[in-house]
Amino acid sequence: MNKGMIRFILGWIFIIQSVLLLLPCIFAIIYAEQQGIYYAGTALVSFVIGILLSRKKPSDNVFYLKEGCIITALSWIILSFFGAMPLWLSKEIPDFTDAVFEIASGYTTTGSTICPSVEALSHAANFWRCFTHWVGGMGVLVFLIAIVPMSGGSNINLMRAESPGPSVGKLVPKIRQTARILYTIYFGLTIAEFIFLVCGQMPVFDAICSSVGTAGTGGFGIKNDSFASYSDYCQIVVTVFMILFGVNFNAYYFIIYKQFKKAFSMEEVKWYFIIIFTSIAIITINILNQVGNLFVAIKDASFQVGAIITTTGFASADFDTWPILSKTILVMLMFVGACAGSTGGGIKVSRFIISIKSVKKELQSYLHPKLIKKIKMDGHPIEHDIIRATNVYFMTYILIFIISLLVISLEGKSLVTNFTAICATLNNIGPGLEAVGPTQNFADYGILSKWIMIFDMLAGRLELFPMLMLFHPGIWKDFFKKKARRQISQ
Amino acid sequence: MSSKKTNQNGLKIIIVGCGKVGSTLVEQLAGEGNDITIIDTNASKVTEIANLYDVMGLAGNGASFSTLEEAGIADTDLLIAVTESDELNLLCCTIAKQENNCAAIARVRKPEYSKELPYIREKLDLAMIINPQYESAKEASRILYMPTALDVNSFAHGMAEMIKFKIPDDHLLDNKRVMELSSYDIRNILICAVERDGEVFIPSGQFMLRSGDVISFVATRKNARIFLEKVGFKTTRVKNCMIVGGGMSSFYLAKELINMGIEVKIIELDKARCEELSTLLPTAIIINGDATNQELLKEEGIEFVESFVPLTGIDEENVMLTLFAKQVSGAKVITKIDHINYKGVISKLDLGSTIYPRYITTEAIIKYVRGRKNSMDAGNIETLYHLFDNRVEAIEFRVRELSAVTDVPLKDLKIKKDLVVAFINRRGKILVPSGLDSIQLGDTVMIVTKHTGFHDLADILE
Repeated sequence: MNKGMIRFILGWIFIIQSVLLLLPCIFAIIYAEQQGIYYAGTALVSFVIGILLSRKKPSDNVFYLKEGCIITALSWIILSFFGAMPLWLSKEIPDFTDAVFEIASGYTTTGSTICPSVEALSHAANFWRCFTHWVGGMGVLVFLIAIVPMSGGSNINLMRAESPGPSVGKLVPKIRQTARILYTIYFGLTIAEFIFLVCGQMPVFDAICSSVGTAGTGGFGIKNDSFASYSDYCQIVVTVFMILFGVNFNAYYFIIYKQFKKAFSMEEVKWYFIIIFTSIAIITINILNQVGNLFVAIKDASFQVGAIITTTGFASADFDTWPILSKTILVMLMFVGACAGSTGGGIKVSRFIISIKSVKKELQSYLHPKLIKKIKMDGHPIEHDIIRATNVYFMTYILIFIISLLVISLEGKSLVTNFTAICATLNNIGPGLEAVGPTQNFADYGILSKWIMIFDMLAGRLELFPMLMLFHPGIWKDFFKKKARRQISQ
Repeated sequence: MSSKKTNQNGLKIIIVGCGKVGSTLVEQLAGEGNDITIIDTNASKVTEIANLYDVMGLAGNGASFSTLEEAGIADTDLLIAVTESDELNLLCCTIAKQENNCAAIARVRKPEYSKELPYIREKLDLAMIINPQYESAKEASRILYMPTALDVNSFAHGMAEMIKFKIPDDHLLDNKRVMELSSYDIRNILICAVERDGEVFIPSGQFMLRSGDVISFVATRKNARIFLEKVGFKTTRVKNCMIVGGGMSSFYLAKELINMGIEVKIIELDKARCEELSTLLPTAIIINGDATNQELLKEEGIEFVESFVPLTGIDEENVMLTLFAKQVSGAKVITKIDHINYKGVISKLDLGSTIYPRYITTEAIIKYVRGRKNSMDAGNIETLYHLFDNRVEAIEFRVRELSAVTDVPLKDLKIKKDLVVAFINRRGKILVPSGLDSIQLGDTVMIVTKHTGFHDLADILE
C-alpha cells in the first residue's frame, strides 16, 4: 500500500477544493450576501490541510488499482463533507446530515434535494450546489490528472476508479492529455449551452446554474418547480444538451478529429438514441390525452426522458401524475442510465448491451453445447474479464439496492416511494415518484435513511466497487502494515 | 523551429511486440515523455504494460494495416517492431512505411539474415535493424579481449574505451584519493564512476577509493593498458574459451572469437544442432553433451580454460554455471542475463561480467530516438551507453554550434552534480580534460552522468 501517494493526492484534492470554494464567494460578493464568509473560511481551512498533506512528494509514485480505489473513495467523501460545511455553518441548511446529503447529491450529480424551498437559499448556496454537479460530472481526479504534473503510468488507476463504464481506456497515449481533452470537450459544451440559454432570455445567473447542472447531468434546480416555468425554447435547449452530455465522450473526440465513421458507428451511442426515441414516442402517445396538445406532449416527454435516462433529474412537468405506462418506462430508464464515458450515471447502456449479448450467447450454447463464440462490441471482441466484471456489477448492484431498500423501509413509507428513492439515489438521478416525486423532496426521511442514501449516491457515482473497497478488511490491514524488519541473524 | 516542438511533446512511437525488449523500451521511452502506443496479440500482456506505464495499449496484429491505422500510424514518427518473429517485424515496418514514411526499426536476429542485414535495411528503407544476439556476442568478445575488465565499452569509433574493473583486496589503489593518482605517474585516464555497496558515485578529486569498489575509467586503448599494467593487472587477451549452449548468441560469439584467434569449445545438448554448428564453425570444437553435468565440464577441462561463457537460454542455469566455474577455476567468466529482473540481487553475486542483451538493444534504439527528438535530420548524440544497470549514462555529443558550454574552461562552467566530462575528441585525438581545457566547436564530447534524459550538451549546466 503506497500510503505516501494516497496522502499526496488527497492533499491535492484539498487544495483543488479550496479553489473551487472561492467561486461561490464571487457570487456572494456580487449579490452582497454575507454567507460568502463561510465559503472563504472553509476554503482557507481546506487549503491549509492540503498544503500540509501534499508538502512532501512521495519517493515512490507507483500505485495500483487498490490505492486508486481508496484515493477515489476517500476524495469523494472528503469533498462531500467539506463541501457541506458552508451550508451547515451558515445555517442555510441547519442539519449536518441534510447538508452532507445535499452536497453528496451535488457532487455525485444526483440532484436529490432536502430543501423544501430552494428559492429561499442565497445565490452563493444555489451556485455552489449546481457547481458541485459540474465538478462531479467529469470527476475531480480526472481534473487533478489534467492539471497536476504527476509522472508515471499509475494515474490510470485513478481514472479507472473514477470514470464510469465497464472498461476505461485512453483517447491518446498520455493520460494527462486524455484528461485535458475530456475537460476541454466538457467545458466547450457547457459554454455552448450557456450561450444558447442566455440567447433565450434566461437570466445570466440561472443560465450559469442550469448549464453547469446539465453538464454534470446533475439536476439541482434553482427554482422550486425545477424547469416548468422557463420558456419552451429554454426547455428544448436543456433537453438537447442533457441528451448530448449523456453520450460517450469518445464520440466527441472522434468527431473533433474528423473520424466520423468511428463516431457514428459506436454501438452504445446508437442504442442510447434508439432507447431515447422509442421511449419518447411511447410516452408522447400515452400522455397525449392528458396534456391535450401534441407539441407540449412531445416537449414534455422528451424533456423527462432526457432528464431520466441521462440521470440529470430536472423536471419540466410533474410526471408523478402521468399514466402508469409512462411512469413505468421512466423508472426503467432510471436503471438504464447514460453511456459509459459520459457524465451520466445509472447502470450504463454498454453494460446492458454486453449482458444482452451474453444472454444471446448462452441461448446459442444450449443449441450448440460446444460452441465457441466471442462477444463483440464495435467490432472488437470483449475480454472475458469485462464480461465477468459486468455480471458481478449487476449482482452487486442488486444486493446494494435490496439492502438499502430494506433499511429505509423501516420508516414505513410506501413501497413506490422507497423503491424510487433508492433508485433515484443509487442511479444518481434525483427525483423519484410519489413522496419523492419531482415536486417533493427527501427532507422527510430520517437520519439513518439519509446516510444510507448518501452512501448509495457515492457508490452509484463511483460504480460501486471503490466505495465497497473501503469496507474490505484487507485494505485496512494493509493500511496498518509496516515494512517487515530485517531479521538480525546470529 | 520544428525541432523545439518535437522536443517538448516527444515523438509519437508505435512499439509492436511486448516481450522483454518491448517492455524495456516502453519503460525507458515513456519515462522520457514520448507518446507511445503498444501493440501485441496478447491482450493481457498489453493491459499489464498499459497499467504500469503511461502508454496506450492495443491488442492485435501489428502487421495488419487496420490495427496500425487504429494505433494512429498516419501521424507516427517511429515504428519499432520487436516481436518474436523476424519476418513479422520486417512486415510491420514495410506496411507502416506504405501509409506514412515514418522511421522504422526492426529486430532481425536469425543468422541466415545476418549477412544480408545491410541489404535488407537499404532496400526496405529502415532506420535501423537490431540484432541483440549479435550485439551481445560482440560485447562478450570485447570483454574477452581484455579479461581483467568486467566490462569494456568503446567510444569515438573505438579510439577511447571505458573499462570497468574491481579493486582487489590490499591493492595499491585501496585508500587512495582520486586526485592522488597523478603522483603515481598515472595520467590521461579519468575515473568516471565508482560502484560501492550497490550505490553508484560520480567521484570528485576528493573521493577515496577502497578495495571492493567497481570503478569505470575512460582512456585511449593504449593509455588504458599502460594504466592497468601500472596498477598491476594482466592485459593480455584470453587464449581459449568454453561456451555452453549452441544458440544464436553462441554462434555469433564463436565466430567473433575465432576471427580474433581464440580457440573455441562449444558444449550443446542437441545432437542435430551440434552437427549444424560443426558445419558452420569448422575450426571450433563442438561437444555434444549436457553441460549441467559437472563431470562432463571437468572432463572437457573447465579447470584449465581461460574463459568460460554460459549462453544457455535459461538465466538460472547460466548463473549456476558461472558460479561453478568461479569455484573450480580462475577462468574469466561472462554471464548473460536474458529475463531476470532481479538486477539488485545479481549485482551482489560474484558473477564477473554480466551482459543484458535487452539493454544492449534498447540502448541503440533510445540513442536513435533521442537523436531524432533533438533534431529531425541530424542527431547530436553519437553514442549512448547505460552503465551500472542503467543507473549511469555515458553520452557522446557532437558539438555542432557555439553555445554556453563552448570556449569556456571546464572549471568555470557550472556543471550539474553527479556529472563529469570524460573526454573530448578533437579532430581524432582523444583528450582527457583537466579544468583548464574547454569545449570547442567540432569536438565530440563524452559525459558520464547519473541524470537521465539529456538531449543536448547544454543540458550539462545547472
